[in-house]
Amino acid sequence: MKTRPLKELLQREGATLVGVGDVTQALTSELIHLNRGIAIALNRGLSSDTNDQLERLQKLAEVWLKERGYRSFSIPPDSDRRKDKLITKLYHLVSHKTAATCSGLGWIGKNGLIINNTYGSKMSWATVLTDAPLHPDTPVSGSQCGECDLCVRHCPSGAVKGYHWSMVDPRQELVAYDKCRSLKTKRHGFAEKPNCGFCVTICPFSRSRHKQKHG
Amino acid sequence: MVDEAKKKEVLEKMRNGVIQYDEDACKEGAQEALDLGMDANEAIFDGLVSGMEEVGRLFEAQEYFVPEILMCADALYAGLDILKPHCQQMDIGLKGAVVIGTVEGDVHDIGKNLVKMMFDVAGFNVYDLGRDVPLDKFVEEQLKTDSDLVCLSAMMTTSMVGMPKIIEKIKEKNPDCMIMIGGAPTSKELADKWGADGYAEDASNALKEAIKMVSFLKKLRDEKAGKK
Ligand code: B12
Ligand code: SF4
Ligand code: SF4
Repeated sequence: MKTRPLKELLQREGATLVGVGDVTQALTSELIHLNRGIAIALNRGLSSDTNDQLERLQKLAEVWLKERGYRSFSIPPDSDRRKDKLITKLYHLVSHKTAATCSGLGWIGKNGLIINNTYGSKMSWATVLTDAPLHPDTPVSGSQCGECDLCVRHCPSGAVKGYHWSMVDPRQELVAYDKCRSLKTKRHGFAEKPNCGFCVTICPFSRSRHKQKHG
Repeated sequence: MVDEAKKKEVLEKMRNGVIQYDEDACKEGAQEALDLGMDANEAIFDGLVSGMEEVGRLFEAQEYFVPEILMCADALYAGLDILKPHCQQMDIGLKGAVVIGTVEGDVHDIGKNLVKMMFDVAGFNVYDLGRDVPLDKFVEEQLKTDSDLVCLSAMMTTSMVGMPKIIEKIKEKNPDCMIMIGGAPTSKELADKWGADGYAEDASNALKEAIKMVSFLKKLRDEKAGKK
């Protein structure tokens, strides 16, 4: 099944990146029938309502699939914070990283975040799983961090361990999240916000884009 | 008089909303039902719940799997949230107190919640223990609240086996309390076998049974008081 019409629709509606991955390998038995993962990314900082925008795009994808007789299951961008419904219990079974890497839109950097070649790790991601036999994109082959270790050296809490991510062992822990979080509690400034985010801003892939945009 | 054709359409909308896990359709349907002046109870059971029954069938036919089921249940609750406040409060001239919960090892609580809702509507005092409730918790709660009834729900053949244990303990500690069981794998025969005082196959019958039981208890108490 062709993916172009769906991708074009979502891009026309504002998605920065759209990819389709075969996510069979990553699924548990509850979800195994929904083996295509549609990864949708928005360039962060575009607006403050990034999550709402992503959810709107997910809805469009759901409708598109439904019209063609397929089912879908959307994992919202802030899946970890949702607790209000029954379906929220299944969110933790799917990571946005899975769909992104399986659809070739990025690898996981040493900083533990999805890195896209063009946009770096400044993206917000959402995933739609479906049983539509969409033709999958080529998965990413591995990390392109190379010798760079900027995020390892600059992380104020020493949380970034410096490992290379690979598809072979996608669950290896790259960042000591307890350390990262402890910084957050130490500096109350971040209490309700995301953490310091140096690992995002320091990354050359995130910055090259920045340079391009501002000449 | 509510227009029959329109009414059917709205019920169908809610039913399909649940089946197709479309929360918005369920909400719209629920609102439309209210705008039409339909009875909220009827909208719930002939619309939303009838959809969930079909979902159960689809699950059995392996057309639906766990994520679909959960989304269907979310859609049902979305409609229920709108309709519930409009359920006609019945005045049955009787105040009962009920402990209700889904037994240990079982997280199916949609049916239990519907039964609970009927009790709420009837003005009963309901102590809802939730789902996956440890067996002893029912006994404790009954003693603590001195409720007239304990209602046990189970949707699995593996979890319903906890029921006779609870029944035995409650009867031992408080023989005056009555027990009703329900949920798809249970039956009148099992209720009799396990020494429960009642069984009902759906939520409205659960309420009818409960009313019977509470009035019976009341009569019993009055008689006792009279003898003294
Ligand atoms: C929804 C559902 C789920 C949802 C539950 C969500 C929730 N919060 O409740 C989820 C996805 C979580 C789930 C999980 C599981 N489920 Co399930 N699930 C169902 C399903 C499809 C529908 C149940 C339902 O809600 N029906 C709608 C309501 C309105 O009906 P009801 O519960 O029967 O309630 C009515 C009456 O029974 C009565 N009633 C109910 N309680 C009481 C109490 C009293 C006191 C009285 C008087 C009356 C009464 O009144 C109600 C309203 O009229 C059924 C299949 C089916 N067709 O029933 C399977 C089913 C119940 N599940 C089953 C199984 C096996 C499981 C799982 C193990 C996963 C799996 N492998 O499928 C887990 C178990 C989790 C656990 N430990 O409990 C089996 C049980 C088999 C068995 N005989 O043991 C069933 C029968 C499916 C099947 N055919 O295999 N499930
Ligand atoms: S957010 Fe800050 S503390 Fe956490 S890993 Fe990134 S750089 Fe380190
Ligand atoms: S800063 Fe360097 S090592 Fe860290 S994620 Fe970016 S490219 Fe990879």
